[in-house]
Amino acid sequence: MLIAGLVGVLLLNLGRDPHSIRSPLVGRPAPPFALAPVGGGAPVTSESLRGRPLVLNFWATWCAPCLEEHETLQRAGASLGGDVQFLGVVYEDEEDRVKAFQRRYGSTYPSLLDPDGKAAIAYGVAGVPETYFVDAGGVIRAKYAFPLNAETLAENLKKVGR
Amino acid sequence: MTAAAGRVLILLALLVSSAGAMAGFAAGARGSEAGWRLTRRLAYAFAALMAAANALMVWALLRRDFSVGYVAHVGSRSVPDWVAVVSLWSSLEGSILFWGLVLGVYVTAATRANRSRHPEYMPYAAATWLACGAFFSFLLAGPAQPFATVPHPPADGPGPNPLLQNHVLMIVHPPFLYLGYVGMTIPFGLASAALLRGRLGHDFIRPLRDWLMLPWIFLTCAITLGAWWAYEVLGWGGYWAWDPVENASFLPWLTATAALHSALLTERKGVLKGWTTTLVMATFLLTILGTFMTRSGVFNSVHSFTQSAIGPTILGFLALVLVWSVILLAARIDRFSPEGQLLGAASRDGMFLANNLLFVLFTFTVLVGTVFPLVVEAVQNVQMSVGRPYFDRMAVPIGIALLLLMGVGPALPWGRATPEQLKRALLPPIFGALLAAALGAMLGVRAPWTLVALGFGGYTAQVTLRELWRPVARRRAKGAGLGEALVESPRRSRRRTAAYVVHAGAALALVAIAVSSTMGTSKELQLREGQTATVGAYTLTFLKAEEVREPHRDALVARIGIMKGGRDLGVLTPRMNHYESQREPVGTPAVRTSLFEDLYLSVMNIDPAQGTLGLLAMVNPMVAWIWGAALVMALGGLAALWPGHRAAAAVAARVDPRVPAPSRVAAEG
Amino acid sequence: MRTIAGAVLLAALAGGVSAQAPADDPAQVVGAPRGPRLQGAALESHAKEVAGLLRCPVCQGLSVADSPSTMASNMRAQVKDLLAAGYDDEQILAYFERSYGEFVRLKPPLRGVNWLVWLAPVAGLLLGAAVIAWVLRGPRHAAAERAAGQEESGSERADLPGPDALPPDRSLAPYVLRVRERAYGWPGGVSPEGPPASPAAVADHAARDRA
Repeated sequence: MLIAGLVGVLLLNLGRDPHSIRSPLVGRPAPPFALAPVGGGAPVTSESLRGRPLVLNFWATWCAPCLEEHETLQRAGASLGGDVQFLGVVYEDEEDRVKAFQRRYGSTYPSLLDPDGKAAIAYGVAGVPETYFVDAGGVIRAKYAFPLNAETLAENLKKVGR
Repeated sequence: MTAAAGRVLILLALLVSSAGAMAGFAAGARGSEAGWRLTRRLAYAFAALMAAANALMVWALLRRDFSVGYVAHVGSRSVPDWVAVVSLWSSLEGSILFWGLVLGVYVTAATRANRSRHPEYMPYAAATWLACGAFFSFLLAGPAQPFATVPHPPADGPGPNPLLQNHVLMIVHPPFLYLGYVGMTIPFGLASAALLRGRLGHDFIRPLRDWLMLPWIFLTCAITLGAWWAYEVLGWGGYWAWDPVENASFLPWLTATAALHSALLTERKGVLKGWTTTLVMATFLLTILGTFMTRSGVFNSVHSFTQSAIGPTILGFLALVLVWSVILLAARIDRFSPEGQLLGAASRDGMFLANNLLFVLFTFTVLVGTVFPLVVEAVQNVQMSVGRPYFDRMAVPIGIALLLLMGVGPALPWGRATPEQLKRALLPPIFGALLAAALGAMLGVRAPWTLVALGFGGYTAQVTLRELWRPVARRRAKGAGLGEALVESPRRSRRRTAAYVVHAGAALALVAIAVSSTMGTSKELQLREGQTATVGAYTLTFLKAEEVREPHRDALVARIGIMKGGRDLGVLTPRMNHYESQREPVGTPAVRTSLFEDLYLSVMNIDPAQGTLGLLAMVNPMVAWIWGAALVMALGGLAALWPGHRAAAAVAARVDPRVPAPSRVAAEG
Repeated sequence: MRTIAGAVLLAALAGGVSAQAPADDPAQVVGAPRGPRLQGAALESHAKEVAGLLRCPVCQGLSVADSPSTMASNMRAQVKDLLAAGYDDEQILAYFERSYGEFVRLKPPLRGVNWLVWLAPVAGLLLGAAVIAWVLRGPRHAAAERAAGQEESGSERADLPGPDALPPDRSLAPYVLRVRERAYGWPGGVSPEGPPASPAAVADHAARDRA
């Protein structure tokens, strides 16, 4: 009987990817941050972003899937930029490389630097790309830990009221 | 072409092993000599086919034949030939192919050794082995095909995992592991045969025990090599992290050790037949569980092969073997009639039972800890972890208890003893305990568990030495010289001597583990070129950082000058390796091993342009003793297995009246 | 065009910023610091201890203390900061748990179903000990049964050699005598009182003889 249980558990777990961590932050207030943007300037705070839904995308130049989703995000950033705030947060990378990347591939919204990884830790980031969908009231409604495409982006935007 | 040939070989192996299994079961049921002969031939054929398939794969790897699926997966033109050969077992499909080879070798050896013995058991045993062989052939033919044809062969491949190219230990660890793991199939077959037959005769216990001991030796070496590799390669300064795959190799070792002790009781007293059989079956089950854990992608671990369809298949096999074992045990265990009885708790018999209790408890605990996160996730949808702090907390008391038991057990006499006898047996080694603990305290040991471990270790050491000396003393009392006694006694009671040697090794290993875990120092240093720092008794000077280019990797090497007590000890070169296929660099620590401690240096960050170095420097005491102790255990096991002088001694006993038969039995005590 | 839009955006955002914008404040998450503010060697060693209790999220099973990855080293730095600010172990663990979930704690905390994993070994120990006690008690009953059985089948023993019979082959006789001596403890293998009393007495004597 015990044995059947063990086998059953192992079976159930087969479909699961042990490398993806579910986020406990979904449904909780987004951790506050104050991060300097790429290229310099005053730090951007999470408080200043209240009032509009926020798409917070953790990415890096060395991350191939981030490049995959880059176009989708840029297009969305350009078209929805008025109603939804798109922001990138650079994860374990250098400013120079980010600037070169942006020059090469363009960017319709700013990216923020997180040099000591504190924001990444606060958001429970375990790899890139990871995108957080925060509603206008500052509550995280969804976390998507794969490269976004048009459909998945639209799906998740619905969760924050768009 | 090569791929197709390989597939043919695998299919043939599948056919032959299935046929052999059926022939074996039929031959066993009918008691047919011809049927047994057929089964043997099929077994040898299976082994030959597996060997051929493996040889073909090695040839394809060496030739960089990228039309073969597995070679395209792990082959590379830019790695040396020895890496190409070693990649046979570096990835999933190849490792199953290698499993088949090792199984074939074992089945051949076990079949050949017993070809004219135990005729009522052997066909069943061989049938069971070949049924397992059939399963692995099926895996190779289906879900885990190494010989898939690549329609458009690439010009070059990615090469095996860089971690495997980092150190020579990686060449040795997997073969030993397979020799241990796969070897457990043999005693499983023997035990199944006994259950199918409905009896476990005294004559059959010996082969069961011997064929359990051989893989046990390999598994002991494999676990040690794995720990040593982790220590020398991974850079965090430890050797065991209770990673699920480490546990996978450890679990069958625990039950096999319990089974070896239980089998000794069965051999001596004819008791616990069913329990010994259960332990042997459990050992094999745990190896299959272990292979599932490693290959299914269900566990988050350093070792995991990638997820694939192989997971459900192995799980199916595990379920099948589980059902087979449970049914056989339930149906037939009553037929095992004991030929003796266990007497009393405060006796060596009782201590054997305590040994089994502790080992099984240890197995249970590690299994629960490893599997618990999966259960919680399945039931509650919460991801949680059971990590090193848990396992350490559980393992320490059990390990300490086992350390003491190795002393108390052999000190006690067989059968019921009077309080007077108990006192005489148990009190004197306390001297050894106090001596060892005092020595430790003098050398600076303050951690309570470590002092206890030293004390128990001293106790066990005294008992073991006393028991090793006992036959020598007896021989001298009868008039032999010291030299003659020292040589003759181990020869006469080889198994007994070997057992105590293994115990000595195990005790040493446990004490060394205790000391190395609690008595080390570690420092994180940030150094500029030319700067000096001290760790323990060592003075480290960061000489320079340099870049080294190798065909398969770029490395940043830190040259560190070492001084101790004014003496120059040379230069250590820990490095940070950048492999093309990996984002995070892989560090290789530098270890300077001396008799009592290791100086361990690991690069955390290094910048040749700026001349800065982040270095983790540790002094780890007694680590080399762990590896040495494990070697002692393996050698002891080998000595126990060595074809003994039993036959010669029996003849000698008849001829030489000075060697009465009963005292030989007593000497084996 | 894009960069201008971006710059406008930034200016708008930055405009809303006060000079001392708080980043993620641990006190908001786990409450005010409860422990002592550590420094120096105590800080180093305790930081290592706490890092050993946290699981590195990007590695495969390693602790934050042992992992060489960048994420782990960032987390180590954060642990150190938190300890220096006076947060105690449980607070620090809870802080990371907020972000990563229970996954990040290597030592299962004592809540809910986790009690099972901590109690299971203890339960196993008790169960095992009980089984052994039962097994060791059994044989006494079995011995009593066997003794009872032997008395009844005494008539079948007529055709067995007597207790002091010696084998026809004289060269084997010394060995038989020695075996009897060992087994029964009396010279020549014959007891002054008669056949041996019980297996226990035999074992006792054998043990005494050997010790």
